[in-house]
Order: sequence, then C-alpha cells, then structure tokens
Amino acid sequence: MIISLNWLKKFTEVNMPVDELATLIGARLVEIEETINLGEKYKGVIIAKVVECAPLENTDHLNLTKVDDGGVTVGVERDANGLVQVVCGAPNVKSGLLVAWLPPKTIVPNTFGKPDQFVLDARNLRGVISNGMIASSRELDLSDDHEGILEIQADVKPGTSFASAFELDDVLFDIANKSLTHRPDCFGIVGFAREVSAIQGRAFNTPELLLGNLADFENLQNDQVSLNVSIDNPDMSDRYLAVVMSGADANKQSPFEVQTYLSRVGVRAISAIVDVTNYLMMLTGQPLHAFDYDKLVALNNGKADIHVRAGRDKETLVLLDGRVIELTPDDIVIASGETAIGLAGAMGGSSTAIDKNTKTIIIESATFNLYNLRSTQMRYGIFSEAITRFTKGQPAELSAPVLIKAVQLMTEWSGAKCISKIAETYTGRHTEPTLEFELSVINDVLGSEFTAQEVVRTLQNVGFKAEEVRLKVIRTTAPYWRADIHIVEDIVEEIGRLNGFDSINPTLPTRDFTAVRPSDFDNFRKQVRQILVRAGSNEILTYSFIHGNILQKAGQKVENSYRIINSISPDLQYYRQTLSPSLFELVHPNIKQGYDNFALFEINKTHQKSDGMTDENVPVESNMTALVVADKNKLSSAPYYQAKRLLDYLCESLGIKVTYKQFEKESDSPLTAPFEYRRSAKVINQETGKLIGIVGEYKKLITKGFKLPEQIAGFEIKTDELFNATIGQSGSYRPLSKYPASERDVCFQIENSIQYSQIIDAATSALLGVGLETSIVPVDIYQAESSATKNITIRVRLTSYDHTLTGDEVTLVINSIITSVISATHAKVI
Amino acid sequence: MQNIEDISKKLLDLVAGSDTPREILKSVELKQLYGVVTTLPVVERGAYGKRVNELRIALESAVTAREAELEDKTVETIDVTAPWDKNAGPVELIQTEQGTQHPLTRELENVADIFTRMGFDAIESRQIDDDEHMFGTLNFHENHPARDGYDTFRTEEGFIPPAHTSTMQNRILKAGKAKLEAGGQIAAVCYGRVYRNEDVDATHEHTFYQCEGVFVSKDATLGQMLGTLRSFFETYYGQKLKIKTQPAYFPFVEPGLEFAIEKPAALGGKPGEWLEMLGCGMIHPNVLKAAGIDPTKYRGFAWGGGIERLVMLKYGIEDLRYFESGKLQFLRKF
Repeated sequence: MIISLNWLKKFTEVNMPVDELATLIGARLVEIEETINLGEKYKGVIIAKVVECAPLENTDHLNLTKVDDGGVTVGVERDANGLVQVVCGAPNVKSGLLVAWLPPKTIVPNTFGKPDQFVLDARNLRGVISNGMIASSRELDLSDDHEGILEIQADVKPGTSFASAFELDDVLFDIANKSLTHRPDCFGIVGFAREVSAIQGRAFNTPELLLGNLADFENLQNDQVSLNVSIDNPDMSDRYLAVVMSGADANKQSPFEVQTYLSRVGVRAISAIVDVTNYLMMLTGQPLHAFDYDKLVALNNGKADIHVRAGRDKETLVLLDGRVIELTPDDIVIASGETAIGLAGAMGGSSTAIDKNTKTIIIESATFNLYNLRSTQMRYGIFSEAITRFTKGQPAELSAPVLIKAVQLMTEWSGAKCISKIAETYTGRHTEPTLEFELSVINDVLGSEFTAQEVVRTLQNVGFKAEEVRLKVIRTTAPYWRADIHIVEDIVEEIGRLNGFDSINPTLPTRDFTAVRPSDFDNFRKQVRQILVRAGSNEILTYSFIHGNILQKAGQKVENSYRIINSISPDLQYYRQTLSPSLFELVHPNIKQGYDNFALFEINKTHQKSDGMTDENVPVESNMTALVVADKNKLSSAPYYQAKRLLDYLCESLGIKVTYKQFEKESDSPLTAPFEYRRSAKVINQETGKLIGIVGEYKKLITKGFKLPEQIAGFEIKTDELFNATIGQSGSYRPLSKYPASERDVCFQIENSIQYSQIIDAATSALLGVGLETSIVPVDIYQAESSATKNITIRVRLTSYDHTLTGDEVTLVINSIITSVISATHAKVI
Repeated sequence: MQNIEDISKKLLDLVAGSDTPREILKSVELKQLYGVVTTLPVVERGAYGKRVNELRIALESAVTAREAELEDKTVETIDVTAPWDKNAGPVELIQTEQGTQHPLTRELENVADIFTRMGFDAIESRQIDDDEHMFGTLNFHENHPARDGYDTFRTEEGFIPPAHTSTMQNRILKAGKAKLEAGGQIAAVCYGRVYRNEDVDATHEHTFYQCEGVFVSKDATLGQMLGTLRSFFETYYGQKLKIKTQPAYFPFVEPGLEFAIEKPAALGGKPGEWLEMLGCGMIHPNVLKAAGIDPTKYRGFAWGGGIERLVMLKYGIEDLRYFESGKLQFLRKF
C-alpha cells in the first residue's frame, strides 16, 4: 500500500523532516518498505502556455507551437519574444492552452526509473527544432489517456513547476500490508493520518466525511424510483446500503487534482463515476461498487430489488473480467431479484457493468463477512484494492458516511442526481466494547511507568473515549473503526506502541539460579557430528521433500510417503522415508566437481506413513543418521569395509558395542530397500539385540540410477537407537598393569563360508575368566586364488595384573583359544 | 499370426536361458517378422504390425530382466563381520582435515548453548504437524488473512510442514504448566526446520531454520523481553548493542514487535545501521488459554527468528541456496 505524505498532511500536521517521520512511523505504527521521492519524477516539468500554434508544413498532423514558459528554463533556444519552439502531434493542441511542457534534459515521467527511461533533448523534426515535448496525461503517468495532450484548467502562471502546482512534490511511503492485517482503518488515508497525528503526540480531528449520518442526508434524497435491499444470509453481511443516481455522465472526468492523487497511490483515473468510488476507498478504506441501474432492473422485471445471499449450487456468474465461475454456498453473491449479478466485495458481474452509455447507476456501500470473502478470494484468485480492504473487516458504521460523501462527489464531478431514497439493511449492529482496567495492568505488562493521565490522553488522541473513573482506574470505549480492540491487552499494545516501545527500559527477568543443560539427546547428536567430522566426513543438510522418482529409484513405495499437494515443483513433492536417497543424489555432482574421495553425512528427521501417529495424532517422526562414502578410484577392500570402518569408528568413539549380521533375505522395508543384502549387514546392539541400522553397499539398480561410482557404500542408522545404546555405558577402564604384555599370532585355516566373527567370538569366549587383561586384533585375511579355504591370522595380547607371564602360561591360554576356535569352526592351525 | 506366437515363445525361451540376452533382439527371426508386414494385404498390416511390436516390447523387457538376473548372479556375498577384504590390509579413514560440520548446525548448537546458559531448555521442532498446532492454538481464526503470510504447504491428509517453530508453542506451554503453577517459570527455546511455499533465489528458500523462545511467569513484562533478547545478542556478538523495535502484527502476541539490533562492529556495522533479527511480543491471552494456563495469573513473552541470517552475516555468505546444496566446494570452507 502506498501512502502519500501530501495527502496525509491534508488531515494532520507534520512538523518534522521526512526521514524522522519515516523512522517514527516505523517505530510506532508500521514498517515502511520504501520511501519514494515523487518530486524527482516530475523534476523539470513546467506549466507553459501555448502562444502560437500552426500546422507544420509537409506533415499531416504535426503542429509547430511556440510556448511561454515564463522564461524559467535555462539553456534553451528562444525566439525574439522569449518563446520556445516545440513540435506537437496532439489533435487538441491550440494556442491559449496551458500545458505540461517537458523541456530538454527532463525525463518523461512515465518512464522514470524504468530500464527504458527516456531523457528528452532538442532535436530536429522534419527540418525544425523541437525543444522537448508537450505531455499527455499518460506521459505524465497520471492516467492511460493518450488521446491528446493534457489541458491544464487551473489558474496558474506559465513557468510554474508542474509538481508544485499539483502537490506532486510529494513523498510516498510503501507500507508492508501484512503488518496492518488487523487494522482496516489504516487502509484509508484518514485512518493512517490519525495514527501519524497520535504518534507525534497530538490529538486527531476526525474529518466530517467520516461522521455523516443518514438523518442529515434526507434533503438530498428523492423517491422517483424505489429501491429495495435485503440481506438474506445475515451472517454474510452486517450492513448493506445503496442508492440510485441518474444523469451521470460516464464520459466526465474527475477533477485533475483528484486524478493526481489517485495516480500517486497506484490507481488509474478512469472516469468521474469510477474515480469517486476509488477516491473514497483510498481515503476511508471503505470500498464502493457501482452498478448500471437499467441493466440491473432489466434482469428483474424492471424492479430494483437487491439481495445479498449465499451462492447456490450449480449457479454460474460471468465476472467483469469475462471469466465464468461456478458459485459455491461459501461465496457471497449480490443478486437482482433471483439473478446473481456480482461476487460481493470481490468483483462485479459483466451483466451490470458501467459502460459509456450508462446514465443511471446504483452505488453500493456495504460490509461483508471477511472469512467468506477470503475463501472467495483464494478460490478465484482475486487480489483487488477493494478485497484487500474488505478482508481486513471494514466496520459497518463506516458504510453510511462514505455513501453520503459518494453521493455528494458524484453530483459534483459527474452531474448525477439522487433519484431514490437510501435503501438500507443493517442486521449486524455492534456495540463498541467498553473496557475498564487498572493502570497497573498496563505498566505491569509493559514494564513501564505511565501515569493515568498519559494513558487517557494517548487513547483520546486516536479517537477513543477514555477517562480515569476512579483513582488509577481507566474506562475506555473504542471508536467504531477499531474492531481490533477486544481485550485489555489490545489497550496495552496501543499505549506501548503510540508512546514508542523503545522508550521502555529493557530489564532481565528475575529468576532462580537453576542450571539448565542441553538435553542428553542434543548432546549426543553433537557428539555424533563431531566424531564423524573427525573421521573426515562432511555434514550436509538436504531438503525434507524429494521427487517421487527418487523414492522409486531407491526401491521405496511412493504411497508410504506423505505427499505435498501444493508443492512448488515435482522435486519437492514427497516427504522422504529415509535419508540415504537424498545423499545418493549429491555423490555424482560432487565427483564431477573434482572431489575423488569423500564421505557425506546427514542427521535429520524422516517420515513414513507406515510409522503411524503419535498420541497427539500427528505423524511419528524418526531421527536418522545416514552416511555415504564414495571413492572415484578402486580401493583394495570392497566399499562395504569403508562404510563399516567409519561406523566402527563412530561406535567405538561412543563406547557402543555392535555386531554385524548378514541379512537372510531381501527385505522391503524403506530402510533396507536401497541396500544389496549380500553385501550389507544389519547393525545390532550387542547388549539388547535391537536393530540400530544398516551398513553396506547399494543395489546395482541404485548405483546405476543415481550414477554412483563403483566404490560406494554407506550406512543409515536410527539415531534414537544409537542413543539408547549409550545410556548406562560406564566405560571399560581398568587400572594399568605394571607388568609387560605378551603377544602371540595365531593363523587359522577355515572354510570360506566361515565368518571372521565366528573365530573372534570363539577366541573371546576362551578368554573369559582367565583373569588377564586381553585383546584380540586381526593381522591378516588371506585366500589363495580359487581356494575353498582362507587363512585368518589374529594377534592375542595378554597382560597379568600381578606378575610377568611365563611362556608356559601364555601357551596355555593360546591353546585354550585354539581349542575353542577349532571346535566352533573346524579350523586348522597353520 | 500363429507364426508370430511360435517365434515369440521361442525367442522368450532363448532370452531366459541366454548369457548374452541382448543379442537375441538382433535375431533373424525378428527381422523377418518385420519384413513380412510389407508383403501382407493392407487391411491385415495394422493388426499384424501391432502384434510384432508387442512382441518386441515383451522381448526387450525380458532382456532387461534377464540382464538384471545375470548381474545379480555376479554379486558375491562378502563376510560382513570381517574388518577388511581378504588379501587386503586395514582400511584407512578419510583424512581428518577433510571433515567439516555444517555451518547451520554449528550455529544452532551455538544459539542453543547461549540460551541454555541463560536458563532456557532447548528442544527441537517438528517437521510435520497439524493445523491445530500451526495455527489453531496460536489464535489464528480458520479463514483469517493473517494465514496468508505463511504460505504453508499441505499434505493430502491436511498435515502441514510447519511454517514457523511456533508450532511447538502450545506443547511447550502445556509441558511447563505444572512447573509454572508450582511457583516456577516456563523458559524454553525451540529450534528447527520450517517450510514456506516460496520460489527459491539467493535470498529466499522454501526450507530454512528458526529458533523460537517462550518465557512465562507471574510477572513477565515487555521490558523483560527486550532485556532478554538484548542480552542474548550481546552474548552472541560479544559486545554491547543498541536495540530498536517496530510494531508488527502476529495473531499469537499482543503487543507484537519486530526486533532489530544495531549492526555489530564485528560485522563491519556503523552506527545507524540496523539489522532486523526477529519477531516477538507478549503472548496473547488466547494462546495461554489454549494451553490451559490462566492468563489472569500468568503472563509471558515469545519470539522467533531465522538462523540462516546469523550465519550469512557471520561468514559473509552470499547465497541462501548453498545451505541445502550439499556442495563440497561450499561445505569444506567451514
């Protein structure tokens, strides 16, 4: 929304520089997105008088004129009489006219600030010099009229600056609408001026035009024609007023000054009839609508009988813009008799539109249920100045004074006369709430020290009735235009804001000294991050939503994902079920960027429909941690072992013991779906037997589908299960032994089908109860080509706490290991 | 036509047993079938040609399936319990210098750390929620235009990827109610991902992070809110800061404000340069009521702001899109 400073000044004094005012408005009313100096746009434009005007030889429509600019323009060629020569092609140019002249070096206003900004000069046209140009209303960016040049009717001396003559040396504030969603009154200049007055600490005098009432209007009314209005659905409209006026000249223009004010706030001047409605809307916030009376009654056997009602099933309406819409019972419809003729508050219908031949009009001033209007607005995508105001909830009391003013202006500007009484239905009369509160309420909430007098004055400045009824007890009634005031908190806001929140002294809450620590889970995630980073991995964050194709490529069922119905693009249509597919997508682009070897990990949430709902009936969320490790080059070990190495490092650093179990068969759970079951393992909590996650290589279809390199593997684990595994871990520290350790290597030859863990498990079990500090580490895994057996060498390290072990003692232990391994795996020691 | 059926069966059988199934697509029989089409009477050509095409499509999918089957057979089972591959040595970790933490999670940890030291509990926000938490309990009327500002996504079921971390406010208030009524205070921050239906460019993202704060006590004031927020930013930037506010409208607070700080010297700020940091206000009585807290006995304040802004200012990051891009080029700078 654009607010014009000059327009504000017609209703309130402003006695501070513009930048200070802008800062004050920002601090006490609403954010200003941009301050525009309108004067710049009209810089150099001069009001000049056409003194001579004659057709230019050898042209069919050009005229050679000499204009009197009062001699104010410097550096321009003049004749002996001091006149300047300008060529003009407009049909209405003639001597004696006052015009807007754009001298050389001025910018054509309607191109100002645009990429094709046009700067005039003195140039040769058909053999004569033309100094700049005489402007049309369109070139002045005032309306779309380009039929001829602008004829200035005002009594101004040639040489006067165009901007100062028409108050166009103005400043425009571009206001963020969303911060005024609750303030319908501020969507009119008068309401905005009231606030500007109050934030400067001054009372505001509400202009007459907001105070008119129907009783005073009797003398203007007439009953040549009868008009009836009724609200059939009282919940859809509080008040509906209309009046018939005849003799309107649709070709008449509104006063030039009005046109300039409309144009500066972004509304095009069209004709006196339309301009009246727009002008009053901009001024007061109350939208008006005009129907063609003759068309309206023709739809209802010659009777003017307007109904406000709900749309009916299967009912259609042709809108002003030509669209045919099917109405719903949620839409508010204006009907002539039974026939729908407009979408209330949103857009008129084409069947009763004003056109060049319109002579008699009906002006409507009404309020409509803002919630119905908002759904209508969304349904049909209507974003007009009028509906923007209606959906803020304009007060019913406003509609009468604005209609009265409209009738007056319509008479003045277009010559129309009232030929009916004002027809009214007012079903939703509200009484403004009266609030009584103690002064301490205000100061307690704000942490301020306002006196009762200050509070009363602040409220009165913006039109509230307010008085101190008892000591430090204030009673106040909001004016009708403040439908946003319901509770004392609203008054608190008013007092704090109008006096400036920044004048309140910041303090800290008084608190107990209770220490708070981050949650254990948060600390744990922080730890996981640090460990994986230490292991050379890069943490990434990826979108929560993915393309359906990605799910399919990853072997996950699309129907198990929550689907976004209004997504920006198909790439963001589904909630992801696990993190791995998002990581797959990033491997190829990073390899292409020249990164040969990397590990990416993400700690985030995932969502699957099959996980069901929480107690609050919202979808269960899973915390997951996923990693992929990729290498462009082939390594000596299969990629599986790269991923396992990283996971081992993570688990060891966290002090968690896990075991790796081969899958028995393919599983179609979303977690395991991307993994190749013969080259992946379930990660199991050794203590509880619970599944923590999956580690392994991916299915061939996936590596192909995501253009992954051969050397790729990863893991995806349930962060919560990993966290649970750390609970109660007390560490395995034992005091250091003072005696030397003994090491022995043992090499077992086993069948290929025997797993490494079977040897370790058997060896470990033999060490239970030997009373020594022990460790077993792998040394070598060897398999001769196409051999049915493999050799696994382990290193056993033994330390006693109370003496140096003898060779015999060591052999005894090693032999028990060998026996245990042989009985478990039929190994041969070599 | 019978001929086609015979050839079809024969070729499909061949594919099923072949080690090089793609070769069969080039078979003479198939070529001959196509050859026959031109010799037929015009009326029969359509049906015949269609049948031959169907055969070719069936063959192609059989070939793809057979290839996958063959490839699948080549997958070798490995010993998943071993520390490394046979005949290979120990597996090295990636060099530790390559590792990096994401700048956003680092900042979230930092912000949560300051607030916990100030006595606020920290919890993570949800990534899918319902209308009731996102709007209903926060004093948004069902069809209120204030909802427009949030550009929410929706799922088929009507769930919402939250557009603000305030979606957790009702839960925080409910969880803290007992403590409050026992004479304590509610003090919590909530951080997490939020989503807006916005087109993406250097300064707009549909996915970003916020941190929300809630404080409720018997005697909370707006002055305390300003003090708390100033104290946070002073700790965060390690210097004294000037603050300013401007009125704003959020249905869940009254009064509602935008909160700005004077740009800190550490960021190259000069006096008079302001940074808008967050929205805040005194919690609306209806929001307290929705959590079963009596607004005549307790008052509170709440705030919420973006995290990306802090990170971008800190490092001079020029493009919001980098955060979720997964580009190593970007990530390895942190």
